[in-house]
Amino acid sequence: MLEFEKIKTQRLLFVKCKGDLDIECEEIVHEELIPAMIHEKNVRVDFSNVHFVDSSGMGLLISLVKTLKDKDINITIQNINDDILEVFDLLQIPQIIGSDVLLLES
Amino acid sequence: MFKNKISDKNKRVNPEMDITLAREMKQARNIQMKLLNATKPEIGNADISGVSIPARLIGGDYFDFQTLPNGKLRIIIGDVMGKGIPAAMLMILTRGAFRSSLEFKATPSETLEVMNRSMYNDLKTLGSFVTLLCADWDPDTNALTYSSAGHNLPIIVNKKSKERELVKQSGVMIGGLADSRYIDQTITLSHQDMVFFYTDGIIEAQDQHGNLFRLPRLVELLKTLHHFKTNEIEYSIKEEIDSFTNGIMQKDDITMLILKVNENDK
Repeated sequence: MLEFEKIKTQRLLFVKCKGDLDIECEEIVHEELIPAMIHEKNVRVDFSNVHFVDSSGMGLLISLVKTLKDKDINITIQNINDDILEVFDLLQIPQIIGSDVLLLES
Repeated sequence: MFKNKISDKNKRVNPEMDITLAREMKQARNIQMKLLNATKPEIGNADISGVSIPARLIGGDYFDFQTLPNGKLRIIIGDVMGKGIPAAMLMILTRGAFRSSLEFKATPSETLEVMNRSMYNDLKTLGSFVTLLCADWDPDTNALTYSSAGHNLPIIVNKKSKERELVKQSGVMIGGLADSRYIDQTITLSHQDMVFFYTDGIIEAQDQHGNLFRLPRLVELLKTLHHFKTNEIEYSIKEEIDSFTNGIMQKDDITMLILKVNENDK
């Protein structure tokens, strides 16, 4: 189950996600999350409270980023935990969605 | 706060449709199980075993073995994104691409490149991806050459129940980029080494509190099971996962493939 909260500022739409991103999120991503972002110029997604992303969730995330990029919307994702980053690295997600999307702590 | 929860999309269908769907699902499951559980090759002194347990009636995990004309054993294991019927359809596509790739007499990395080229357009259209690990085991030299397209590397445990280190490797998932390139790594196996190939459904199995099974637990378990036959290891791992999840519904497909070399050469 994934839940999200939207905070609109002058510069961007801040979307705070909470829960697991897996196959059960198919509808919420395509029917609620993407439509909520599609008319914005800048979107920042916060993953502080996302603790698990499985392979289906990775597919949804790639789909979300590609959909927004196709519409010239800037999207960045911040506060990704180490477990999820490890899977991103294994799957070479930055190569697929663009390394500029992931905001990593130096 | 967090009001946008997933909505219930279940819709009622008529009873006749239910029966037809149930019958077709059963037939689809039978087809998939037969394709996955084909005859295991007998090669060298190896003990080989593999099993796939879908989270639903049918699944998107895939494994296969083929003996190559040069005498090597080719192994492939993969995970199609998603679950159920859509994933199963793509699993069949993956199997076809793998079987066709055998004509090219390619190395594991070249096999992944061939498969990516043949599947890329379909996967892009469908918005899906497949992770794959392809490996060749040479029974004469005991060399294991492997290449990964975003898939977990195998775990190797030696006869002293120690884990052997593999060179870390990553590669873009099949369907991720049109011209992905992959690399081969080779390790020489020793007598009675056990090689455990798996999909993430094992390490991501969850208990009632949402805790994951995780890789370290799997590695420790394999160390204790090393002296068993491969089918016994398979059974014990299933038991351990069942015990861990304690009745919680399996969320992802689980697949494992075990190779023990020179098993009869004590």
